[in-house]
Amino acid sequence: MATSQSSGSSPVTPTTSAVQIQNLHYSFGSGDLTKQVLFDINLTLPRGQIVIMTGPSGSGKTTLLTLIGALRTVHAGSLQVLGQEVVGLSRRKLVSVRRNIGFIFQAHNLFESLTAAQNVEMAVELKGQFGTKRSQAVEILDKLGLSDRVDYKPGSLSGGQKQRVAIARALVNHPLLILADEPTAALDKKSGRDVVTLMQKLAKEENHTILMVTHDNRILDVADRIINLVDGRLESDENLDTFVSTHDPKSLDRRMFIM
Amino acid sequence: MKRTPLALLNLLHEKTRLIVAIAGVGFAVLLIFMNLGFQGALLATTVTFYEQLDADIFLTSPESLEISSTKAFPRVRLAQIAGVEGIERTMPLYMEYLLWRNPETRISRAMFVFGINPQDPVFGMPEVQTPAAQQALEAPNTVLIDRLSREEFGPQTVDLETEAGRRRVIIGGQYSLGGGFAADGTLIMSDQNFIRFFAPRPFSQINLGLIQVKAGANIEAIATTLRRLLPADVRVMTRREMIQNDLQFWLQTTAIGFIFSLGVIVSFIVGTVIVYQILYTDIRDHMKEYATLKAMGYSGRYLFGIVLQEAVILAVAGFVPGWVVAVGLYRLTREATNLPMIMTVNRLVLVFTLTLIMCSLSGLISVRRAVTADPAEVF
Repeated sequence: MATSQSSGSSPVTPTTSAVQIQNLHYSFGSGDLTKQVLFDINLTLPRGQIVIMTGPSGSGKTTLLTLIGALRTVHAGSLQVLGQEVVGLSRRKLVSVRRNIGFIFQAHNLFESLTAAQNVEMAVELKGQFGTKRSQAVEILDKLGLSDRVDYKPGSLSGGQKQRVAIARALVNHPLLILADEPTAALDKKSGRDVVTLMQKLAKEENHTILMVTHDNRILDVADRIINLVDGRLESDENLDTFVSTHDPKSLDRRMFIM
Repeated sequence: MKRTPLALLNLLHEKTRLIVAIAGVGFAVLLIFMNLGFQGALLATTVTFYEQLDADIFLTSPESLEISSTKAFPRVRLAQIAGVEGIERTMPLYMEYLLWRNPETRISRAMFVFGINPQDPVFGMPEVQTPAAQQALEAPNTVLIDRLSREEFGPQTVDLETEAGRRRVIIGGQYSLGGGFAADGTLIMSDQNFIRFFAPRPFSQINLGLIQVKAGANIEAIATTLRRLLPADVRVMTRREMIQNDLQFWLQTTAIGFIFSLGVIVSFIVGTVIVYQILYTDIRDHMKEYATLKAMGYSGRYLFGIVLQEAVILAVAGFVPGWVVAVGLYRLTREATNLPMIMTVNRLVLVFTLTLIMCSLSGLISVRRAVTADPAEVF
C-alpha cells in the first residue's frame, strides 16, 4: 500500500516535525457566503510531542484538526503532514495521507455488527496485513486492558471500553500522528482519565505525536504543550508549566466555564 | 485470513430488517415467477396443436401469421416435392373459421375448422384414428368436435344435428385438442365436407402443407432442399421453427406479451424499491461509521463495494424462498387449472438474473450517499 511519503508529487522534505503549518487560511462557503474560519496559522508539531488544543466553541479547533487530518482539501498556505504537503492534493492522494494518521473521535463510531477485534482489524486490513490482523488486534486490545473483551460486540461494552476499542483501532497501525477530538467527552471522570493515560503511555512508547482537542481541564496534565485557538487565530502556544503558571488555579477554574 | 465480511455482518446484525428485506425480495421474485409462469403456460397452450400434428416439416404461405391466421397457397406445391429423397408423405390441411350454432341457445359462435383427407394420419389423437371416427369423417356434413371447446358451443352428443355456416351439420364423434388463444373450439372434417361448407373455396388452395419424413432422415437437410426447390409463395419451416414462429406472434404482436411483461416490470420495480429502502436505511444508520472508515483511509470504492455486496446478498437470500414458494404455487395452479405451469431452467436463470439486476440497481441508487460520506463531518 502506497504511503504518503512515496506517492506525493511534491518534494519530500526531510523533517523531524510531524506537522508543519505556515500561513494557513481556511474558509467555508463561496462567493458572498464565504466565512473565513482560520487566519494565518503557523504551527509546528515535533515528533513525539503531545499537544492539547483548547479554545472556545466555534474558534476553528475542529476545522484545524480536520485539515491536518487531510479530511478537507486546502488551497491557501502550506500544510505538511508527516513530510507530505497536503495543500493542493487531490482527494485520492488525501486518502493515502490519512492512512498514516490515527483518528479518535468524540463518539466511538464502531460498527455494532463487528466485534471489538473485528473493528480493530478493519484498520489493519488497510495495510493489507490479512495474515496477522487478528494477532495485531488482540495485542493492541490487550495493551488497552481489553484482553477479555476481544470478541464482544460494542453493544455489550461500556462507554469507556468502547472508546478504548476506538483508540485501539486508531493505534493498531502505529501511526506517527494521532488526532483526537474530545476523546473523553462521552466518558465519566475515571474512564476519561484512564483513556488519556493509555494514549499518553502508548504515544511515549512509540514516539507518536498527538494533537488533541479538549475542553476537559482534568486531562491537561498529559500535554507537553498547550495551544489556544480563539476566533480562528493562534492565541497562545506554551508548554504545560507556563500554562499552569500563567493560569493560576482560580482563573483556570473560571476559564473552564467560558470554554 | 480474509477481509472482514462487513456487508454480511451488517446485514446479519439487524435481524428484523434482514427478514423484512428477504421477504420483500422473495415476494418480488415470486411475483415475477408467477407472471412468467402464466405467460409461459398460456403460450404453451397456443402451440399444443403442433404436439398433435404428426408432421416434421410445414409449408405455409409467407403471409401467414400463425396457425389461425394463414393465407392459402396452391396445393400443387405439395405434389411438387412429394418425390424428394427422404420424404415419406405429404398431407394438405385446410383451415377456416365457421359459425357454429348452439342447438340449445341458437347463438352462433366462430369455430375453428381443420379439413383433412380422412386417409391422412394428420392428427396424433387416437380418437381420430378409430374406424368409427374414420367412418364419421367420410360421411357427408359430418364433423368431429373438440371436447375442449368452450361450453358456449352447446352439447356435443354424437349424432346431434345443428347448423354451421348455413348448412346442416351432424356431430360424428369427439376428440381432445384445445384451441389455445386462437380458437374457442375446433372441428375436424373431411376435405370434401370442407369444400362444401366453404364453397366456393377451391380444393386446390390449402392452408398448411404437412410433410412427414422417413425414419432417420435429416429433417434440416430436407428442409434446406425444399427451400431450394420451392418458389417464394411458400415458406418451409421445421416443427421447431413453426412453434417458435407462433410463440413469437403471440408474445410480440398481441396483448399477452404486454400484459405479463407489465406484471414482471411492476414486480421488478416493487422489488427495487423495497431493496432500496432497506439499503438506504442501512447506509443512513451507518453513516458515521462509513465516514470513519473514510477518515481511516478507506476509499469511496470500498464503500461502494460494501453496498453492492449487501445488494447481492439480499438478491440471493430473497431469491431462494421466492423460488421455493413459486414451485409450490406452480403445482397448485397446474392442479387447479390444467395450465402447463412448468419451472424451466431458462426461467430460473432469467429470474435470478433479474433479481441480481433488481438488487444491484437499488444498490447503485442508494450507494451515492455512502460514497459521499464526508469524513470531516464525523468530528
